Amino acid sequence: MTDARKPQGDRLSESEAIERAKQGDAEAFQVLYDLHKRRVYSLCLRMTANTAEAEDLTQEAFLQLFRKIGTFRGESAFSTWLHRMAVNVVLMRLRKKSLPVVPLEETVETEDEAPKKELGAQDAKLAGSIDRLELQRAIEALPPGYRSIFVLHDVEGYEHNEIAGMVGCSIGNSKSQLHKARMKSKP
Amino acid sequence: MGSESMTCGEFQKILPDIMEGQRKAEHAAHLQSCSACSGLVSDLSLISQQARLLQASEEPSPRVWNQIEIALRQEGLIRQPGRDRSLVPAFSRRWSLAWLLPVAAILVIAFGVTVYKGGRSQQIASNRVAAPVAMSLAANSNDDQQLLEVVGSRTPSMRTSYADNLQNVNAYIRDAEQTVQNDPNDEEAQRSLMAAYEQKAMVYEMALDRSLP
Amino acid sequence: MKSRQRAARVALLTLMVSVAAFAANETRKEYRFTVGPQASVSINNQYGPISVKPGAGNVVVVKVLLRSDKVEVDRNQNGNRVVILSHLFAGATAETGRVDYEILVPSDANVTLHSTTGPMDAEKLQGDVSVEGATATVDVRDISNAHVHVKTLNGPVTLTHIQDGHVEITSVSGDVIMNEVSGPVVQVNSSSGKIRYEGDFGGGGEYSFTSHTGDIDATAPTYASIDVTARSVKGQVDNDFPLLPKTHITFPVDKARSLVGTAGKAASSVKLLSFSGKIHLKKR
Repeated sequence: MTDARKPQGDRLSESEAIERAKQGDAEAFQVLYDLHKRRVYSLCLRMTANTAEAEDLTQEAFLQLFRKIGTFRGESAFSTWLHRMAVNVVLMRLRKKSLPVVPLEETVETEDEAPKKELGAQDAKLAGSIDRLELQRAIEALPPGYRSIFVLHDVEGYEHNEIAGMVGCSIGNSKSQLHKARMKSKP
Repeated sequence: MGSESMTCGEFQKILPDIMEGQRKAEHAAHLQSCSACSGLVSDLSLISQQARLLQASEEPSPRVWNQIEIALRQEGLIRQPGRDRSLVPAFSRRWSLAWLLPVAAILVIAFGVTVYKGGRSQQIASNRVAAPVAMSLAANSNDDQQLLEVVGSRTPSMRTSYADNLQNVNAYIRDAEQTVQNDPNDEEAQRSLMAAYEQKAMVYEMALDRSLP
Repeated sequence: MKSRQRAARVALLTLMVSVAAFAANETRKEYRFTVGPQASVSINNQYGPISVKPGAGNVVVVKVLLRSDKVEVDRNQNGNRVVILSHLFAGATAETGRVDYEILVPSDANVTLHSTTGPMDAEKLQGDVSVEGATATVDVRDISNAHVHVKTLNGPVTLTHIQDGHVEITSVSGDVIMNEVSGPVVQVNSSSGKIRYEGDFGGGGEYSFTSHTGDIDATAPTYASIDVTARSVKGQVDNDFPLLPKTHITFPVDKARSLVGTAGKAASSVKLLSFSGKIHLKKR
């Protein structure tokens, strides 16, 4: 879940860093940042498809975390706490910008839900050919609502019940949106 | 195209559930008999698997930490080390050449990344990040020029001030570097060189993070 | 002749109307925030002065004078942290975007001030003071047992009566003047600004003044207890302070350009380094 769980050289471990960050130790903050920066930034980047915004959100997520670090008691994993906070920061930003965190047209089941055609042999198989870059581009091209669900489930590994709680939709909706996002991500 | 028991349309209608692992015998039978649907399932599974590789796949620019650290200091969340510590370890921690040079370089590089982020390709930015830390900061006139352009475009009245101060700092670095080259074991010369680097880092930091709207 | 008088009257009238219009857009506001001990107060003001003084009780009082409607004041309180920001609108200039701040804080508050043009001053506080400005004049006085950190480009910095301080000043070309400044760490880093120190180098601290071309003047009473290293690579070093010579030194000695020695028990370390500036250690 993190970039490097183990301390490098004489760097602090995560638990040591948490305790020292609570005391205001500059190095401890940086250790925690270094451990989790890639995961948080990648999440922000996938969700927004915009590097400047992702940087801004990464900064905001870490700052929120560090401001509250004194309240962290270790009941949950630190990484879980941080990543959930990052997700909330991103979702909040999307809502502020009036971007849908759930696809608007998907809140009502329509005829479109059913495939209009039966897929034939002309649908080329990916057969392991999709690479990271292609997928990255495909995710960027997704409408924001689909992108949120896809990133939260397939990239970040959240369960549908968690996603439903986070974005404010039903579990069934989360499932069906994920499916559509995957379909749209096919080259 | 489809088995007798289930059409492709029916199969694809319940595909979201199937992808969630709710697979029954009739689904398996359809998959075995229908290459289109089995291909679709394997495509979607592959997308899902590959997606996980995107987790923690990107590195934020050094600017992000820089901003966080500044905010933490401003908000008083980072506290200075206790005052009873002697300056000797404090000096080596805060001023060691190995520490300060990369920091100064990172500030310069962060500026490069910022400038290039919008318009130019990421390739250029990443090349800059890979640039050797050992570059002479004083000689980095391109970055200085870009910094001044940014300052000039945002706060024209400050451009001259920044230009003058960069000139001062660059002269400081040049002289300090020369002094260290003359005698690499001269501790006081090293101290001056590090002070000069810190000055340049401060000018960049102020221009990029605070002193502009 | 008459037409010239009329033109002058019209010009005067126009000027009066403009001044009145400008003044009419000025707005005064006051904000109050209740905080706990050791609150953190941050003010970021692009254009205009910030003045911080201790107030009564556990309240932060922010009095502002906005010079036009091209600027507004954003406030945010998060627990013990108060953040104030002058928010400039499009087209704001140094004149129209100016906001004058007068802040009263509990004396133990930690204060962070930013202003490009300043001036900024803080006084009579026991909390940490951090000030940053480009061309801003910075004046910090009567601070005890706290960190005082100042950064400027060419704004002059004056510190007066800082006791038991952890002082770090970085200014590219602004002069730095210190009167009665002492503490465990007093560090000044300048490129071309002058550095002037008057005080007793007390507190058993580490005093380090570094400059490129600026002169460094340090004046101390004869009772000062110091271990001095002074050196200018190309400038002159003068001393009229009674020092005992030292034997161990880390750089080549040129008596006109360097000085090492101790006074008293050598409780505080004093390093005065310049490249081409003059260094003068004086007896008070």
